[in-house]
Amino acid sequence: MKRKWSLIIFIALLALVLVACGGAAEEPDFVTWYQYDQDNEDPASDERVGNEYLRNTIPQFNEAFAGKWTWVNQPKAFDRMTTELVAAVQAGGEVPDLFELSNTQDVIDFYRNGTAQDLMEWAQAQSWFSDLDPNGIEACKGPDGKLYCIPISQRPQLVYVWKDRYPDGYPSTPEEFLARAAELKAEGLYAITFFGSTDKGGEGLTRAIWTTISSFGGSLDDGQGNMLLNTPENTAAIEFLREIVANEYAPEIAFAGGFQEEEAFKDASAGSFPTGLFGYRYVNPLTAPDGTAYDKGSAEDMLDAIAAGDVYLTSFLSVEGQKPGCGIDVAGFVIPVGAKNVEAAHDYINWIMSPEQNATWVQGPGGGFPVLKTTQTDETFQTPFYKEAAEAVGSSACRPWYGSLQRPNEAQEVVMNAIYKLIKEDPTADIAEVLTQTQEEYNAGN
Amino acid sequence: MRQLLSRYKGGGQTQTSLPFWLILPTIIVLLAIQVYPALYTAWLSLQEREPTGWTFVGVENYKRLFGTSLFSESIGHTIVFLVGYTSVTLALGFIIALLLNGNVRLSGFYITLLFIPWIIADILVGLIFRLMVVPDYGLLSGILQNPKIIPPNGLSVLTAVRPTPWFGNFAFPPAPAMDFLILASAWRALPFVTLLLLAAMQTVPSEIIESSRIDGANGRQVIRHIMIPLMLPTMVVALFSLTLSGMNGVGMIFSLTGGGPGTSTEVLSYMLYSIGWDRLQFGRAAALALMIAVVNWLLISGTLRVTRLEDRNP
Repeated sequence: MKRKWSLIIFIALLALVLVACGGAAEEPDFVTWYQYDQDNEDPASDERVGNEYLRNTIPQFNEAFAGKWTWVNQPKAFDRMTTELVAAVQAGGEVPDLFELSNTQDVIDFYRNGTAQDLMEWAQAQSWFSDLDPNGIEACKGPDGKLYCIPISQRPQLVYVWKDRYPDGYPSTPEEFLARAAELKAEGLYAITFFGSTDKGGEGLTRAIWTTISSFGGSLDDGQGNMLLNTPENTAAIEFLREIVANEYAPEIAFAGGFQEEEAFKDASAGSFPTGLFGYRYVNPLTAPDGTAYDKGSAEDMLDAIAAGDVYLTSFLSVEGQKPGCGIDVAGFVIPVGAKNVEAAHDYINWIMSPEQNATWVQGPGGGFPVLKTTQTDETFQTPFYKEAAEAVGSSACRPWYGSLQRPNEAQEVVMNAIYKLIKEDPTADIAEVLTQTQEEYNAGN
Repeated sequence: MRQLLSRYKGGGQTQTSLPFWLILPTIIVLLAIQVYPALYTAWLSLQEREPTGWTFVGVENYKRLFGTSLFSESIGHTIVFLVGYTSVTLALGFIIALLLNGNVRLSGFYITLLFIPWIIADILVGLIFRLMVVPDYGLLSGILQNPKIIPPNGLSVLTAVRPTPWFGNFAFPPAPAMDFLILASAWRALPFVTLLLLAAMQTVPSEIIESSRIDGANGRQVIRHIMIPLMLPTMVVALFSLTLSGMNGVGMIFSLTGGGPGTSTEVLSYMLYSIGWDRLQFGRAAALALMIAVVNWLLISGTLRVTRLEDRNP
């Protein structure tokens, strides 16, 4: 009797397993890694824009490719997904069919670690390839000239400014800036807030610090893959930053890490904030200097403040003979080595390149300007926000901060540590000595 | 199994091989999850990733580690952190255990309360403590940043720079952020240490304490000459355990200070995390991991040695 029951249970379980397997999706899965989570419907989530984008477009894709692919997104932490992919490829583990790239320096990491597939041949055969902005294509190339990503969106750095704090426009020279900063300080305000800590692996370097260095005509490399920090331009930029910090023209919270520096712009205690174009979606709610509240608690707050003229976008200051500098990143797609469903990834990229999808992606996960030239004229990008941003970027000389350096993550950390030491920790330290020591330590690993 | 055992009792070849077969699954599991990763880490520490694949670089990863100023700085931070963390936790744990060992009313309730920090993940403890001292907005920032309370400029724990070192480049006195990190880490480890010490305290024979009191010993003398010597093996085990967890913990630093301000809370475990996960330099991270593993091995050996001594001298 006992055996009979065991047999019945076994057969029932077997039947369940077979039904479960048989009932699985008939079309193959198309797996992506995005930093966004389609299941996170929290309106207060930092990543609500991207989350909502996925929530809306996953069903659209699945409908468009019904019977062929089913899009399955696996959300990943934004600051860990690159490492996870590199490790997964090296270990021969499960990798996605498509990876959302949000940082151009990842291309160098992928090149060094053999993580990404070369897409040049396939991309050149696509109708949209000739419509791509050449700068976007260049950003996706590794040092070996291969195309490791498909660029969709360009993300420049610029400056968000409270108009009431800079009613006569943003200063165009360091001297003008320091003069206005002193006036603001006398009113109990800060001229600027920026990512000044060494947090997030030195991420601050890629933002206001690089904007400042490049606006002084500086760079971090010699063009041959070696770090070169000890230059007169870099020294001048660091002296300028030192002055800002020593005179307390920037709030202490700028050095607290964890993106806390945004708080000083949100309440308008700081008049300007050099950061990425995409920053608008994170910096909210806002309270203008006159008390006007932009408090939907969403990405619309900054857009509303810009449309109302309370906030404007501009390029950074620069020294004589230099255009204002800024960093620029590309967001796009990578097909990892070991991806099981490359054909689906190709279909997906082509789908995103379609006029109906491209602008939506750039405005959603892309958070920047379209790389596709035809999309640049789309009405989505004719709002005050995008027009001001385009003007600011147009008057700047934007370039990736790492130049020819082939270990950008290490460079980012060591350079930011050195600059933090010089401007905050030990403002009397010899700039040349610290910069020389840093570049020598880095170059020893070349 | 019965058949196997009977064959075992019967002697012969089965008798000698049975123990081997019984422990074989354990050996396989240990090989898979302990030995293989250890050997792989050792191999990795001698490699560097190039676009063409892994390249053998000998001890270059070790040399590069020793060649960076951050490495020696991190050793200093690690020593300061471990000394501060273990001494604060042990001292507070001992005092609380002493209080609970007396006939305190509701001591069971207090012990339950005491357990709260232990059940919170360290990364969350870090976040909670961070929220207390975030400049301008933290729960305690209004007090700490008030120049009237802490002259001349108030104290911003997360951004205050480290004081000038007393001994060359050695990171002492620590930055306020390091002090706060020690405090947060000690808060979380306190329940474990307190209960361990309380258990040890309760095994001290009351006859000895009563005898010493009859001989005229006061409370401090009882603690100094009776309790501490008898609890010493447990305290040493607690010390090693704390050192081990302090040496390897990274979650609290990650969420509380991120290694900052600057590099002032960058201890070796955080440096390992940073080299591996931020810089993607797995070879160099493996080299550092092996060095940390050696320190861990020494600590574990020390713990085992003390535990064995305790067993021999009950």
